[in-house]
Amino acid sequence: MKNSYKSALLFLIGFLACISLYAQQTVSGIVTAKEDGAPLPGVSIVIQGTSTGVVSDIDGKYSISVPNTQAVLVFSFIGFETQRVPVGNRSTLDVSLATETSNLDEFIVTAFGISQEKKALGYAAQSINADEITKTRQPNVVNALQGQVAGVQVTNSGGAPGQSARIIIRGINSLDPSADNQPLFVVDGVPVDNSTIESNGTPRGMSNRIADINPNDIESMSVLKGAAATALYGVRAANGAVIITTKKGKSGQIRVDFNSSLGFDNLAKLPELQDQFGQGFSGVRNDSSFWPSWGANIAEENDPNYVYQDNWNRAFNTGMQFDNSLSVSGGNEVATFYGSFGRLDQEGIIPFSTWDRTSAKLSGTVKASEKFNFSGSFNYTNSGGNRVPHDRFLERMMYWSETTDVRDYINPDGTMKTYGNTNPIYDARFATYEDNVNRIIGNINLNYSPTEWLTFSYRLGMDNYSDSRTEITPGPMGIDGEVPLSSTGFLEETRINSRDITSNFYITLKKQWNSDWNTSLRLGNDVFERKFDRVTATGTNFVIPGFYNLNNTTQIFASQGKSIRRLVGFYGDLMVDYKNFLFLNITGRNDISSTLPKNNNSFFYPSVNLGYVFSENFDLPSWVTFGKLRASWAQVGKDTNPHILGATFVSPGVFPLNGQVGFSRNSTFGDPNLRPETTTSVEFGTQFAFFNNRASLDVTYYKSNAADQIIPVPISDATGFSSYITNAGEIENRGFEIVLGGTPIERGDFRWDVTANLTTNQNEIKAIREGIDQIVVGSQFGYAGSRVTMILKEGQAYGNIYGSSYIRPGAPEGTEELNRDLPVLIGANGFPVRTGNQLILGNAVPKFFGGLRNNFSYKGLEFSFLIDFRAGLEQYDQFGNFLSAFGKQKDSERRNDFVVFPGILADGSQNTKEVWLGQGVGPDGVNYGAGYWRNYYRTTSENFVKDASFIKLRNVTLAYNLQPNLLERTPFRTARISVAANNIILYTPWDGFDPESFSAGAGGNAVGFTGLGFPGVQSLFFTLNLGL
Amino acid sequence: MKFKNKLSAILASVVLMASACDSFLDVNENPNNPEDAPISGLMTNSTYETALNIFRGGSATSNYVQYLASPNPGSSSDIMDPSDFSGTWFSLYNVMTDLDVIIKKSEENGANHYKGAAQILMALNLGMTVDFFGDVPFSQSFNFETVTPAYDDDQELYRRVLELLDEGIANLQGQTSISMGNDDFIYQGNVANWIKFGNTLKARFLLHTKGTSAYSESELLAAVNAGFTSSNDDASVSFFEQRFNPWAQVAINNSNLLLGGWISEQFVEALDGTSYPTVDPRLPLMIGTTDEGEFVGTVNGAGRGNAPEQGARSTLIPGQFYTSTQSPILIATFAELKFIEAEAALQNDRARAYSAYLAGIEAHMDMLGVADAEKASYLADPSVSMGAANLTLADIMKEKWVALFLHPETWNDARRFDYSYKNMTLPENLNPDLNGQYIRRLAYPDSEVSRNGDNVPSVTLLDRIWWNQ
Repeated sequence: MKNSYKSALLFLIGFLACISLYAQQTVSGIVTAKEDGAPLPGVSIVIQGTSTGVVSDIDGKYSISVPNTQAVLVFSFIGFETQRVPVGNRSTLDVSLATETSNLDEFIVTAFGISQEKKALGYAAQSINADEITKTRQPNVVNALQGQVAGVQVTNSGGAPGQSARIIIRGINSLDPSADNQPLFVVDGVPVDNSTIESNGTPRGMSNRIADINPNDIESMSVLKGAAATALYGVRAANGAVIITTKKGKSGQIRVDFNSSLGFDNLAKLPELQDQFGQGFSGVRNDSSFWPSWGANIAEENDPNYVYQDNWNRAFNTGMQFDNSLSVSGGNEVATFYGSFGRLDQEGIIPFSTWDRTSAKLSGTVKASEKFNFSGSFNYTNSGGNRVPHDRFLERMMYWSETTDVRDYINPDGTMKTYGNTNPIYDARFATYEDNVNRIIGNINLNYSPTEWLTFSYRLGMDNYSDSRTEITPGPMGIDGEVPLSSTGFLEETRINSRDITSNFYITLKKQWNSDWNTSLRLGNDVFERKFDRVTATGTNFVIPGFYNLNNTTQIFASQGKSIRRLVGFYGDLMVDYKNFLFLNITGRNDISSTLPKNNNSFFYPSVNLGYVFSENFDLPSWVTFGKLRASWAQVGKDTNPHILGATFVSPGVFPLNGQVGFSRNSTFGDPNLRPETTTSVEFGTQFAFFNNRASLDVTYYKSNAADQIIPVPISDATGFSSYITNAGEIENRGFEIVLGGTPIERGDFRWDVTANLTTNQNEIKAIREGIDQIVVGSQFGYAGSRVTMILKEGQAYGNIYGSSYIRPGAPEGTEELNRDLPVLIGANGFPVRTGNQLILGNAVPKFFGGLRNNFSYKGLEFSFLIDFRAGLEQYDQFGNFLSAFGKQKDSERRNDFVVFPGILADGSQNTKEVWLGQGVGPDGVNYGAGYWRNYYRTTSENFVKDASFIKLRNVTLAYNLQPNLLERTPFRTARISVAANNIILYTPWDGFDPESFSAGAGGNAVGFTGLGFPGVQSLFFTLNLGL
Repeated sequence: MKFKNKLSAILASVVLMASACDSFLDVNENPNNPEDAPISGLMTNSTYETALNIFRGGSATSNYVQYLASPNPGSSSDIMDPSDFSGTWFSLYNVMTDLDVIIKKSEENGANHYKGAAQILMALNLGMTVDFFGDVPFSQSFNFETVTPAYDDDQELYRRVLELLDEGIANLQGQTSISMGNDDFIYQGNVANWIKFGNTLKARFLLHTKGTSAYSESELLAAVNAGFTSSNDDASVSFFEQRFNPWAQVAINNSNLLLGGWISEQFVEALDGTSYPTVDPRLPLMIGTTDEGEFVGTVNGAGRGNAPEQGARSTLIPGQFYTSTQSPILIATFAELKFIEAEAALQNDRARAYSAYLAGIEAHMDMLGVADAEKASYLADPSVSMGAANLTLADIMKEKWVALFLHPETWNDARRFDYSYKNMTLPENLNPDLNGQYIRRLAYPDSEVSRNGDNVPSVTLLDRIWWNQ
């Protein structure tokens, strides 16, 4: 049966390939600016109603083949008004474009790579172009979206080379703590894999797979936000879609472009640390103590062997990245090509962290005839590096003595140099984890139009990668007195193979009924398959020290995880356009998923949206150039992960032992009656342009309800399972997205453009399935009862962080939320009294976020900066918890002080008792044991859940483009040099590392837990672009 | 028309696709985990994991009973801070879940011996869970009717533990359709030993109830009589070349300066002639010495002070009785049973108590391989062989404490005995919330607080469980 399916596809391809060729007409000309008559390079010239087009060259010249004399050419260029010119019998067509300031008529690439006029859209969509993508020099394209698009929140999981970044569109739509709430990534019409597969053991900051794409190859990215925009991609786009269009060759001269960029990374932010006390405990110096900074006063000790080492500044390197890419493109009227090579080398700020990416891409388009064209692309990437255990690095930094040089980590014989604790740099160097990804992404597109109103299209995409990982923890070398990283040594070989195949066939029927009515209907079939296989072999106890092969270990265990997921979808999409001011779009899709129970695995979901350009109907004040209203209603279904249904048994990895294989019940139970999830979203928007497009405003209200959410609910182990996957609840997200644009100044050669976007988000857990009181999204360790948990409860917002707090006698009975304004209960011993009762200490989802971009240009000089911010969120600072446990935070310099804690005693009177903050017996003769910070501060979660808002200068760029008069004297077509700086924190109340870094990788939803992750970095880049 | 043909060919292929869908999409069977597992495989894992649960319990409580001490001052295990035992809790319930499956499956196919053994292991794991935490879920467990199971009264659960032991013994005494073999890591299918093991556990749990009205001395002594008859009957799981004994791993790690397994000063001084008049010949067989060949313990809660990481304190060292890579984890021993007997008989049958007491010491010494002469000389010391008339509970408790080295049962003894071992003192830097008293239970794990919070009883570390009131 499977074969018959394949042969049907083969048949289809064969059929589409045997179409005869037709002759065509060529039009050429020059595009100039109306204002000064100067030639305009880069103008997009598209045949109306098709996606065929070219771009004008440096002299403004273009040449395009048109199917017939009825063809209409659409000339568009950012900053200019779009013109539509019928070709007629002309072979030369010179056009001059008038300036405009807003790009309302811009085309946007939507589902299946179809270029649509933005004006016609009944939903919000926003795109950014190549320039804006590469300006920040981010090796990961997800980061390039940071602060640029309304409704899109991008979060770095940390500053490690190649480390994942997380992108969320319009809030978290799933209650599933492990759900990937990220949008679908689509490259040239074919979805690609963007999963992040973290390491088995300590976090290593692995990459999200979209990092394999070279940003220099990207022409534009559009973000499709609502379900309306994504109904055509089906279940996988339930969280929106990022549509990436790569660069294509353009007909005309062959072009060579070269980019080279050199960047430097530094730690973005360091917490405030104390530098007065050294190694030891109870104020007593001890040079081999486990305790790094509860010891003696360094100044009083006055010993050159006991001085503050400033380890936190010295442990980190200056990171470096060097990115080079070369592309060659060109073509003629019949065929175009684009080829590129890219190489990125990156070294992180944690010593020995590296990542590199080598990519090669070849794409081409062939217009075999007026009726038939095809294109294809092939992208090969090799990426990987040494992923340092960043979480453990910072944990070990925490344990490391502040009076022992952390950089002096190795003995001449190669063993670790230490007073007892593990040196973080030695660990980073020798406890390696290397990944090596080989990935091929390819696609082929065929379009056949037997008649003007009918097009058959077929796309086949493949995304195949192998990820080979080796983790090594050396065992003892057999040298006397050595402190090894592990007493047995450890080797883990992981082999991951993943293959996605996407097949998409659709028929487009277009009809211009009369001058008023225009319709377009698309019907299609979409098939997706992902096969995944992961094999892990682990060996411990090396026989020969330093020889890292599984054959050299005495204990070997192997495990395997396989999965297969298949989806078949059928869809229809009808677009109706009335007099070019009223646009209606109706879609419907039915998906069948292999992952759901057979009787529930087929589900249909519709959408409808309407756009109304009222400025074409009403007499508006002359300063209103354009006005439009949008409304949409859409549903989208969602399936689940493969192979989760029912109860199963597992064989723990430790077996076989003595020839026996043990079995245990799997602690996850998948509801056998699982239903698909349904997200219903409503969106209203309006779009205005003022003062002849000098200013624009776009406001969208959105609300989405994701019901029947499939969630692995963590449940009491006492039930026999730890996790129950079921349709557990409904979450609602709503808010506004506002985009403001304008050109405040445009005088002569000087121009200033501003774009600002603001997003608000409110969400609520509307329902949780009966029998489940709450859902635990995640929790993070804190010492001695200060662990925090993100818990979802009906009626509350997503992202509430629960933990322990100080008792506040005035709080109403049964209150769930901590009121920090109430006075704290002080015990008879003079210290605040904590309670383990779990209260809401904060919420980790930002209520507001946005960005502001300013571009200034004067002749060849460009200056731009992008500020982004987020506000209204709290996070748990695990790092702060550790700092207080180890006496490293600035505040602990008060350790020899007496204080009176503000608060009330049990009898309601004010506390007046003076207590000492230090350890052991204080000057008052009282024994304070381990002291205030260990006994009363680190034990209470409320001390570590803090405001994590920030304002960042995400990017500032200064660039110079060589002017034509100078370029003429060089062999180059274009030349540009620029310098850019990224991620400069302007303001944050947070006192840890960069509040943006979070502990879970991009895949997880537990964003409220920052702490021991790879700290965020700030970067400086120098870039050279040359075009031949 | 040619074109129409093509169109119909396309439509035909679309139809073909749709009909092929069913089998194309039928790929969801789990390729990694089977839907069913044999009871033998479940028994293998249950016996193995039960032994590990003994280790986990011992690891959690060895600092409380001052076998071990942390090399670092103020360590939470020493100073009786609330710790998160989510992992141990999971392991206990994970084994009980599998045992529940064995019991149900063997009921269906008449594998009574599997059923009986599973019931005994269920009683052991449940009993341990109650001893650690007090009220815990059980009656609403494993049937998946609720995801927030209620907490059962700890005294009720003790009744269930004893019932399970009785049922288990009865099932093992009957016929079976399938016999256990090498899949049973404890006894390799020896049913007679399983029955003795069931009775030994019965004696252990009955002894816990000694201070309550539920206690029956005759019932306990009857169980003792049906229990282990020699150390050959001991319930234990020997470890493997492929997987080292976890205490051995602690010792290996410590010898490689990944510190752990440091011996409490309390334990060293109890055996080296400081707290008691005799020098115990078992000391060098249980723990290591300093570089100078001396036994020096670490004070609980105080850390190692200025001592270096190695060579200046006694620790577990690799290769001894408890710490060889393939050493057994002892689940229940003949020695323990003898001390149970001694304590039970002490009030009404001093002679029986005294001879059981001596037999317990002897059994433990033989297990360690103490030389006959040394054993004889120790047993001859008047502080050890004080005679039946002079035997006290303290004498029994002290020797049992030594004989159950690293075993979690000692924490039950310590709580029943109010930690009144000779010279035992509170750790330094004691958790201030304990108001100068010893810990009486483990805190409910974070996982339960967050997942089943409404049912978790509100308790402090000083609240005693039912048999310790």
